[in-house]
Amino acid sequence: MKAKTGYLGRVEGEGALEFEIHDGKLKRLKVNIWEPPRFFEGMLVGRRFDEVPDIVSRICGICPVSHMMTSIRAVEKAIGFEPDRGTIVARKLMSYSQIASSHLVHLIMLALPDYYGKGSLMELLPDKEVTLKKFIRLKETFNGITSAFGGGRALHPVSMVVGGFTALPNENRIRELRSNLLSSKDDLMDIFKTVSGLELPDLQTGSEFVSLSAEGEYAVNEGQIVSDMGLRGKEDDYETLFDEKEVPYSNAKKTVVRGRGPLMVGALARIYLQSDRLSENAKKTALEAGLIPDPVKNPFHNILAQAVEILHFAEGCQALLEIAKPETAYLKPEPGEGEGAALTEAPRGLLYHSYLIDRGGIVRKANIVTPTAHNYLGIEENLRRLIENNINEPVERLKLLAGMLIRAYDPCLSCSVH
Amino acid sequence: MRFFSPGDRKPRVGFFKFSCCTGCGFQLAYFQKSLEDTLKSFDFTFFRLASSSGTPEGPFDLALVEGAVTEPYQIIELKKIRANSAVLYAVGSCAITGGIPAIKAGVPEMEVQNKAYRTKLYGLTSLRPSVLGDYVEIDGSVRGCPPGERDLQEAMVSVLFHRKPEFAGYSVCVECKIKGNICVLVAEGLPCMGPVTNAGCGALCPSYHRACYSCFGLMGQANTAALKGKFRKLGLTEDEIERRFSLFDALETKK
Ligand code: SF4
Ligand code: SF4
Ligand code: SF4
Repeated sequence: MKAKTGYLGRVEGEGALEFEIHDGKLKRLKVNIWEPPRFFEGMLVGRRFDEVPDIVSRICGICPVSHMMTSIRAVEKAIGFEPDRGTIVARKLMSYSQIASSHLVHLIMLALPDYYGKGSLMELLPDKEVTLKKFIRLKETFNGITSAFGGGRALHPVSMVVGGFTALPNENRIRELRSNLLSSKDDLMDIFKTVSGLELPDLQTGSEFVSLSAEGEYAVNEGQIVSDMGLRGKEDDYETLFDEKEVPYSNAKKTVVRGRGPLMVGALARIYLQSDRLSENAKKTALEAGLIPDPVKNPFHNILAQAVEILHFAEGCQALLEIAKPETAYLKPEPGEGEGAALTEAPRGLLYHSYLIDRGGIVRKANIVTPTAHNYLGIEENLRRLIENNINEPVERLKLLAGMLIRAYDPCLSCSVH
Repeated sequence: MRFFSPGDRKPRVGFFKFSCCTGCGFQLAYFQKSLEDTLKSFDFTFFRLASSSGTPEGPFDLALVEGAVTEPYQIIELKKIRANSAVLYAVGSCAITGGIPAIKAGVPEMEVQNKAYRTKLYGLTSLRPSVLGDYVEIDGSVRGCPPGERDLQEAMVSVLFHRKPEFAGYSVCVECKIKGNICVLVAEGLPCMGPVTNAGCGALCPSYHRACYSCFGLMGQANTAALKGKFRKLGLTEDEIERRFSLFDALETKK
């Protein structure tokens, strides 16, 4: 028996799942990502260093800030530029607020309908009208932060550039953002309850959990590579630690830790490895959701982890808005020559950019590895487990479960191919 | 342009994605102030990003298409969408001017591909980028990367009220003047693309102390020669000027 999901819905980008079952055994399974390549690594060559963030932002419409941030840090390292402290605070606000809104979209618009057997959030109306309203309000709050610091829009922001920010919000605007966050407390808890009340399928993964880790904070924009299987390394060692493979049936590449099996990156891996650095409220909810102190490595729990992270980043934004200074100066960096690499935590996990820049400030080489490339092998491996565990279920049920698992990873196929 | 006959049903909308970042699709969801009304006033019968139900076959009262054309199968799909839709709007710079995916138009295709893949090249079918208007008739262009709220709203409302949409057809400078910004081109000598760029963003960059980089694409009848002359006077090299114009308009500039 052959089964195909066709074009996967409620997933960013274009891909499909195919599998074959014969005599009660799973024979073949592949996730085919036919998302058309745009060859970013090719088109970046020949562009100037300060154009890079505006170009890579267009890799992805849901995590543009992550691509900008990672490229900005890599480019700044290459040309030998150090950002000031105010810039670092504003950059964290950009990343935190973007992760929270990306998670919200995933949880409410993309994942939730599965758990009610529906095709979309629209089909959940009017029942979920209240959830929709809260979702929109929260999204407005977080997008409001990204857009205030990003120059008037949250998607492909304009003021975050190599060197810092061309402008920052004034005191009044910052105060407004703080009070919006304060009044979103109930909505935040309700969204958490909506997600933690879902009945998630069982599954145990053997994947290695990988994330960044930093002293004294929940690492997002910078950190060391760590894993639950003892991997340790710096971002500059990334290319020697990880291996990228091209796949005949897919336009996306698969990335693994050299010489090892599948890995998982993203919210669940981050909480697994850095739970001690979650904010107080987020810790409480992580406990309530069973993510600590004795976590099970169930990829479906990624949506619980995202719900916890929304609370964490809401508190993170609140704290940063207390110290954000509107008067940070923008330093215009001079072109410089060199090589630079950076790793950050995008909403979906580990994101890598590296650039070689020549004396004229022109990019000569670019390399980008996205969270979904890191998760790709693990998604297939865990789909196999899931289907084998439920092999006697009707095929329609298997397709539904498989779709749910793929969505639990919140894959971004545009990113994975780029 | 054929509009649907209202009767008592909502207009059926199909949303399609070609080669792009899906940002235009997400922009509909970032559209928070109008999201609820939009969901209630339209029947999104095909929108892969938001729904796993529905069929791409239509028929649609409105088709919204984002992304540049870079694969042969997209041309066939696009023609089908056109045939099944009363109104078709191109959404976003990728679909209208080629935008970021079109940067590679200036370089031999294989040279670009070789830098992104090492072994896989035999399986790739990617073409030199092109835009929707090269293959089918377009009833309107919702410009921007991503589109601004005003034009997006206008696109939806025009279909609800059966009228031709009125999209902003002037330059970013006009919006900049309305906002009362200090001109960064004149006052600070920043290489602002505002004079030749289609409006719709609300002159974001100049409002944040940055030169416009033309993410909404060149407007019709833009006086590019005059602006290039101005850039030369500011001391930009030919290479730098070319780069300003090829970021979002490579298809125009590298013809
Ligand atoms: S126009 Fe811009 S926002 Fe829209 S899909 Fe293309 S790159 Fe993304
Ligand atoms: S700042 Fe740019 S957009 Fe504004 S008026 Fe000057 S040239 Fe035009
Ligand atoms: S000012 Fe120019 S680059 Fe900036 S958002 Fe508007 S059109 Fe895009």
